[in-house]
Amino acid sequence: MAEESDIIKPGLNAGYEDPWPPVRGDYQVGDANGSVAVVTLASSIIPKGAAICGQCKTENLGVEKIVANVISNCNIRILILCGVESKGHLPGDTILALHKNGIDNQGRIIGSRGAIPFIQNLPEGAIERFQQQVELVNCIGQEDTQQIEELIRRHGQDCQPYPDRPFQVIKRSVPSRRVSFGQGDISFGSRVVMDSYAWLVIEDNAAKADAEGSEG
Amino acid sequence: MFRFSKLQSIVNVAGVKFGGQCGQLPSVLCGTIFYQGHRIIEDEERGTFNKTAAERLVTRQAELSEETGCPSVLHLYGRSPAAFVKYLDFAEGVWDGPFIIDSADPATRIAAARLVSEIGLADKAIYNSISLATDKKEAQALAESEVDSAIILAYNPSQPGVDGSLAILETGGNVRESGLLAAAGEMGMRNLLIDPAVLPLGSGAGAALRFSVAAKARLGLPVGSGIHNAVSSWPWLRKKEMTIRKGCDAAAGAMQLLAGADFLLYGPIESAEIIFPAAALADILIAEAASDLEKPPGEGHPLQRLV
Repeated sequence: MAEESDIIKPGLNAGYEDPWPPVRGDYQVGDANGSVAVVTLASSIIPKGAAICGQCKTENLGVEKIVANVISNCNIRILILCGVESKGHLPGDTILALHKNGIDNQGRIIGSRGAIPFIQNLPEGAIERFQQQVELVNCIGQEDTQQIEELIRRHGQDCQPYPDRPFQVIKRSVPSRRVSFGQGDISFGSRVVMDSYAWLVIEDNAAKADAEGSEG
Repeated sequence: MFRFSKLQSIVNVAGVKFGGQCGQLPSVLCGTIFYQGHRIIEDEERGTFNKTAAERLVTRQAELSEETGCPSVLHLYGRSPAAFVKYLDFAEGVWDGPFIIDSADPATRIAAARLVSEIGLADKAIYNSISLATDKKEAQALAESEVDSAIILAYNPSQPGVDGSLAILETGGNVRESGLLAAAGEMGMRNLLIDPAVLPLGSGAGAALRFSVAAKARLGLPVGSGIHNAVSSWPWLRKKEMTIRKGCDAAAGAMQLLAGADFLLYGPIESAEIIFPAAALADILIAEAASDLEKPPGEGHPLQRLV
């Protein structure tokens, strides 16, 4: 955990680094110094007063984006889940399960009833940070904007920023790999073949040698 | 314009053929009706809707299919079993061809599979989809139904990319005891259509293109995708005018076809106006490119019909 002096350093004193939020998506940004984030699940409602507010319709990539944008801002200590669930996908249930149980070795969110509840892009430590930084307020089903705004006001009082640096989720890049020239399984004609697995278009040397041999 | 060394199987669902070598058959185009937020729906749970508007959309897809030579499928999306009763009743009256039954809710998918079996429409139905989300209850219900055509969703979040998508189909990868292809066979599915699952741009959407070629080369099964999802989930594009967004939709569809796809789940049925010409164009270019590799396509192909 960081010293308090770290938290108020120029550049970090805001509790987040610009540009925030780091991950693009369907959301509205309010006061980035606010302590409440709101997920309206499948409902198209925009309550006022939250640091960030947006929908979440998927139980995997959508949930990842929320985690990434929340933990990159230390000011956010409360995450309100409201609006109606996305049927079958159940992202609200999945966020609750992620916060309570985390993930298993395969990245599956333990205890989620969503269709394909997996975390695939978050680095080690991100979920633990999410669990520690924010408290969830479960109001799934609530679509009344005024009631949600009241929740934002009530829960946003007296919150202190999370006492550490913002957790920046850097997109995992897939390492490039060297592939050997394989055997073509797709033909373009004219002795040009493609190894579909390696995604290599190559001249078929065997066919070329045969052709040259027969010409000689 | 590729020619695969692996034999490419052709799947026939209610007279519509999917698959084969590139340029052999026209692309099959599947437009979705009653999707979430579709303006013609009055009540998503009860399945009430504007029948005149719905019929106009279905008829227009059929007209464009006839005009271009690209066969079409009606993609029915339902939020509840009650809605599916009404949607199928409507479809039976206005649509002769195959249709996809689809829902995000497994209970609704199961109910739809049972319903088409009861009313004698199972041979026209394509189940969307068998995936990592298919649990024992859904598998059992499918096995007990008369549905034998399904889209297999090659989404593998534990191993993103082409390798992971192939693994979930063939072996189950790290997350299933068996591959989805074998599982689908155990559920009684005979006509398999492979869908790579298109992720948003920036999250790996492009892998769907490479996967399409790799899956056809390795499995010899028909492949297609809902690549329009990559377009519709792109926040930057959403701020642009409709004509620009439609242009990107058409471009994405054509790119997917050039990457070996046999069918497109092209999204809202309203997009038929731009997708059918774009797909016909792609089909003609691909057939011409493969003209010295493949036998010329049949009479109904856009190459024979439109040029």
